[in-house]
Amino acid sequence: MKVMTQEQIWQSVLAQIKLNVSSANFATWFANTRISDLEEGVLTVSVPNSFSKEWLEQKYKTDILKIIRSVDSSIKDIEYIIAPLKKSFSTNTVKINKEEEQLGFSEFEKDEETNLNPKYNLKNLIIGPFNEMAHAAGEAIIDNPGEVYNPLFVYGGVGLGKTHLIQGIGNRIRSLHLNKKIRYIPAEKLITDVVNSIRENKVEELKKEFKSIDVLIIDDIQFISGKTKTQEEFFHIFNVLYQNNKQIILSSDKHPGSIGALTDRLKSRFEGGMIADIGMPDLETRIAILKQKAEERNFNLSSSALEYIASNIQKNVRELEGALNKIIITEKITKKPATLDDIKKQLKNIISVKTKITTPEKIINTIFDFYNLDNQELFVNSRKKEFSRPRQLSMYLLKKELKLSYSAIGRKFGGKDHTTVMHSCSLIEREYAENQKFSQEVEMVLQRIYSE
Amino acid sequence: MKLTILTQDLKKGLSFTERLTGKNLTLPILNNLLIEALPNFLKISSTDLETGIEWWGLSKTEEEGKITIPARILVQVINNISDEKIEIEVKNDTLFIKTKTFKTQIKGYTSDDFPIIPKFSKEEFIEVNAQELKDCLVDVVDIASLSQIRPEISGIYFVFKKDVVNLVATDSFRLIERTLKSETYKNSFDEDIKFILSQKTTKEIINILQEKSGLVKIYYSESQILFETNLNEIDHPEINLISRQIEGNYPAYKEIIPKEHKTRVFIDKDSLIKQVKLAGLFAGKINEIKIKTIENNLEILSQDIELGENTSVVEASVEGEAIEVSFNYKFILDGLTRIKSNEAVLDFQGASSAGVIKEKNNESYTYVVMPIKK
Repeated sequence: MKVMTQEQIWQSVLAQIKLNVSSANFATWFANTRISDLEEGVLTVSVPNSFSKEWLEQKYKTDILKIIRSVDSSIKDIEYIIAPLKKSFSTNTVKINKEEEQLGFSEFEKDEETNLNPKYNLKNLIIGPFNEMAHAAGEAIIDNPGEVYNPLFVYGGVGLGKTHLIQGIGNRIRSLHLNKKIRYIPAEKLITDVVNSIRENKVEELKKEFKSIDVLIIDDIQFISGKTKTQEEFFHIFNVLYQNNKQIILSSDKHPGSIGALTDRLKSRFEGGMIADIGMPDLETRIAILKQKAEERNFNLSSSALEYIASNIQKNVRELEGALNKIIITEKITKKPATLDDIKKQLKNIISVKTKITTPEKIINTIFDFYNLDNQELFVNSRKKEFSRPRQLSMYLLKKELKLSYSAIGRKFGGKDHTTVMHSCSLIEREYAENQKFSQEVEMVLQRIYSE
Repeated sequence: MKLTILTQDLKKGLSFTERLTGKNLTLPILNNLLIEALPNFLKISSTDLETGIEWWGLSKTEEEGKITIPARILVQVINNISDEKIEIEVKNDTLFIKTKTFKTQIKGYTSDDFPIIPKFSKEEFIEVNAQELKDCLVDVVDIASLSQIRPEISGIYFVFKKDVVNLVATDSFRLIERTLKSETYKNSFDEDIKFILSQKTTKEIINILQEKSGLVKIYYSESQILFETNLNEIDHPEINLISRQIEGNYPAYKEIIPKEHKTRVFIDKDSLIKQVKLAGLFAGKINEIKIKTIENNLEILSQDIELGENTSVVEASVEGEAIEVSFNYKFILDGLTRIKSNEAVLDFQGASSAGVIKEKNNESYTYVVMPIKK
């Protein structure tokens, strides 16, 4: 007799049972049952719930056994286990229903296992010159996680889609490689986890957990700056994952070289794979983004309106979305479509805030934070490069953004001579033109100054 | 089968069991009740294949036996009986009902096709005061989400820890947690017992606990749960409610409850409810009302383009930053009306973060609600 597969055995049972019971009974008790195991003459059948289990065990046991033994006489007994139906994973369950202004708990949108938010997918990520390199690197990783570009380090300013990109990559890997264990974790969470594990004496358990991950995605890694213990633990986790060809994806708001208070060994590891930056989207891309966001929400926007919004909000994708929200809500309240003039009026606040002039204090404080400086005194006077460079940059930006006079700037830095200030400015200007990494850094500082 | 039972007891048994019947078209046997005459007991069972209820009542049994009877007709007949005792007899698949003044016969069906209600290991169990548990469940049951997109949060989350019980429900816009601490509470399991039951099952549990004094026992297995209450007169179960659990992990809800606050408002619950209801009249389609602190007052504003607008002020004691935040007024009412005393505490952390409604000096109730986007 030819050997039947487990599936065929069960099919023959179902076929014969079906002849002898009513269709309602069959549908109620036999739906979603299957053979889950066959070992030493004991056949294990999985059933969806305990009602089915009791029923099959008590009412059909002899019938089923008889049929099975006629197919495969080596089977001596049947056992039933309850195995709930596995929910299939799909990224398409994302419902975009942002019409509701009612806010919900964002925690519920996350996927329990990976911590990824399914709303981020690469299909609705607009690709333009500003992010195509990062996106291409992501695509390569999706095909072969852990084998190319490890780690992938994505950096760029706020609201440009870093989180969208890296979570999108995670979701895509998840749908293509079902057996890979993926974990998304914001750096702040990593830090609290490490702190808690130290307090509860569970560091080893935490490390063990991390080491079982196939694709580790950490958002806003710059937050581990200055967190010595977290850096140390993360260094070990990183090494283990890296040596085992597990994919690591990191995002940050600055280049690894510019993350202050980061140990050199971590810095060099971050730089060891692929570093991709996300810049500002150009006008066409901004229009495309806006158009897509409007479509997602079934909202019609004239092309002149699209262009107006996109050309006036330049630095940040999140603000584009905010502007769109505002228009949609107003239209819902007033119940009539907005004209370009209405839109101009509505967005006056947002746009004029953007073009507003910043203050010297704001520029200096932002730079102070950006470079993680902690000493006002040294910032003003030290000749060490880690202090002098930010100081020179501050002078340059005070000149360029606020058009302060050289001597006024000098006074702000402990009464420096105006020639010193001029020298600093020209130094930065030259560096800005020649060194691409530095110019990106300056762009990021600028964006921070104007985005907060 | 042949037995005699008190009318009052039989009515009670039917009222607990018939609620699960009458909704199944594919398997008509589920519209029936299984009636069994056991030594000294009449047992009635019903199931919808998600939940099963078994009820026992003391009876004088002369002959054992069992049969299934369509629930609706049986209930209607018994409810019209006012004599004290009822005699029940089964002959040839027909149920004969006899009282002093009354004689009926109902056609029944064999009990062979009736589903078998799963059995339970009864070694380990949880024991909790029935009324206390019921009160908590009544508060949380209606907050669960009706949507089936996330089955986990469509249910009620039961957490039985060593010394305290948490009952939780959410619809992703708000979340309620009731905490039950009691001297009579006992959990003989080694670890915390956590499970999710559907809203419907939870309502059945509330129903069986409705008039129950004393304790309810809860037995737990991987996929099923059993609630058991005892008869008042003797040490024998009165009701066993067995239900399937909802699959999946409940979200880490503790993370949602804000640990800190920027603004705290102490306020008289009844006056606030009155004003929120008033503001609700002008809250428009999305039920939006705005809450604003002005020194030691809470101002409630609402505006409807077509109807008009409303402003009311409630005296309060405000600590921390001034706040202006919009909510769905129905959500706010749900949170306030569940407070037992008259002293409400409102915590806010800004216009786009969750607000919390609590009762002053009472940790057993927490209601978290998300605002409406501005």
